[in-house]
Amino acid sequence: MDPFATLGVPRRYELDLLAVEKTHRELSRALHPDRFAGASPSERRDALAKAVEVNEAWRILRDPIRRAEALLRLLGVPVGEDREPKADPDFLMEMLEQREALAEAKASRDLPAVRSLAKGIEGRARAVEGELGTAFDLDESAQGAAAREAVVRKLGELRFYRRFLEEVSAIEDELAA
Amino acid sequence: MAYSNKVIEHYENPKNVGTLDKSDPSVGTGLVGAPACGDVMRLQIRVNDDGVIEDAKFKTFGCGSAIASSSLATEWIKGKTIDEAESIKNSQIVEELNLPPVKIHCSVLAEDAIKSAIADFRKKQEARAKNGQTNGK
Repeated sequence: MDPFATLGVPRRYELDLLAVEKTHRELSRALHPDRFAGASPSERRDALAKAVEVNEAWRILRDPIRRAEALLRLLGVPVGEDREPKADPDFLMEMLEQREALAEAKASRDLPAVRSLAKGIEGRARAVEGELGTAFDLDESAQGAAAREAVVRKLGELRFYRRFLEEVSAIEDELAA
Repeated sequence: MAYSNKVIEHYENPKNVGTLDKSDPSVGTGLVGAPACGDVMRLQIRVNDDGVIEDAKFKTFGCGSAIASSSLATEWIKGKTIDEAESIKNSQIVEELNLPPVKIHCSVLAEDAIKSAIADFRKKQEARAKNGQTNGK
């Protein structure tokens, strides 16, 4: 599936998500089962299948990681387990230190420290998303294998940040309880 | 997802969590990450003069299967020579822990961590040999 085509938006990383959301809402409304009450069973089935596809496309495009994965797949670059380059050792060392600091903040129930660590990672995630936008915007023909590998690396970094922030949410829930 | 009993056992009571002194020449440190999911794993070994792994510690930030895989890995490599430890395959971890297909990458991570710790230890030994700090070796 090409989520960009499904929602009729340009195939690029940086999107006006408010506009995409609006398109998604309009399409969903047009495909709502209520509108097909009098239609034939096959038309109803088609509309339902299309509605499912539209929802899935929106879930992909709104997510910075899944959007990048979709773009890479459309460019013929394999993504996912075992197909991605190993993370840079210095980056891993730093992520491990950040995770350790987070674990310490959790152990001492220091919510401000948790939030401050989260803020740092959120800022870095946003910066990487910006870099991805620029990288994807380059003319496709100008992108060599090295440039694509750099994009996949950035995507990997984003996943480490997401993992970190998921842990932050879990800790916030736990400390608030 | 349902974890196997062995995964839960290791997850709830992980063996060998901790750190060894990274700057100790007899300690090798392996640091690996899974770009596909964001898990981070550190595995360390202390090797004696006979090339036997005397101690192993790990620290894993990841899911239950990743923690169980690294916990099991440290248990297995203790008492083994580095050559023996190096031959451990991720499929053995999968089998022992009954990992489902979606969690196989956790066992790959543990195997990589062992290999990376051994590689780090060897690199240190070579550097020492070059600097003439070992006796006659």
